[in-house]
Amino acid sequence: MERAPVAKGIGRDAGIFVVACVCGVASGMFGIGGGVLLVPLLALLYCFSQHRAQGTSLVALIPPTGVLALLAYAREGFVSWKTGLLLIPGILLGGIAGARLAKKLQPQRMRQVFSGILLALGAWQALSAWWQ
Amino acid sequence: MTLIILLLGLGVGVLVGLLGIGGGVVLVPAMVYLLGMDQHMAQGTSLLILLPPIGILALREYWKQGQVDLRAGVLCALGMLLGAYGGSLVALPLASRNLKGMFGCFLVLCAILLWRKAQPESKPMAAHGESARG
Repeated sequence: MERAPVAKGIGRDAGIFVVACVCGVASGMFGIGGGVLLVPLLALLYCFSQHRAQGTSLVALIPPTGVLALLAYAREGFVSWKTGLLLIPGILLGGIAGARLAKKLQPQRMRQVFSGILLALGAWQALSAWWQ
Repeated sequence: MTLIILLLGLGVGVLVGLLGIGGGVVLVPAMVYLLGMDQHMAQGTSLLILLPPIGILALREYWKQGQVDLRAGVLCALGMLLGAYGGSLVALPLASRNLKGMFGCFLVLCAILLWRKAQPESKPMAAHGESARG
């Protein structure tokens, strides 16, 4: 098994690209940014520090990576334009607050709380979809 | 209703900056449960929200601290562009109910991945070998 953290150059680049493709599939399939998968994978496979993984994930989210997926959804009429546009300003502003806060908080605790929330949310959603 | 939507955006934004994620993972369930949207509709709308660089202000804060790997970031963006299109082709034909359930399972998987990384990194090599299998 190769030691990913010491991998350099083209191998590392190719590996990151493949990881990103996987995150992209999740992104298009579930309508998410993919950062939620990218951050842990960069940290686990490439030994990025938590803050560095988060900063790098934000770079990946700057270009409109979901644009092809969005078009596919829009073709089927699965986009609520009004709600989407209303949500954007809040997220933009909240993002500054969150980034400032991240520097002060203990990342460990922060992530544990968040993963707890995700677990509950995910379990609830899966159950409510299939358990009726 | 409009107010709820605006406040929801603000709340999600804090998470975006805090965790370096796009926010869709929280947005989709929030739209399904708070706004009563259909699963496909929530996902499509989430993709719309992620279109503009909503994380750019958060990124600036990370950049100031030198916590950004630009090369890896660009590669990731490229991979995700292609992957996302493939993913949408998989999701669109699915029944809304099944997609909702799969989304739930995906959240659980993400939660586990995030939690693993949350372990203290006192033994990085051991942690790495273990995680490579997981």
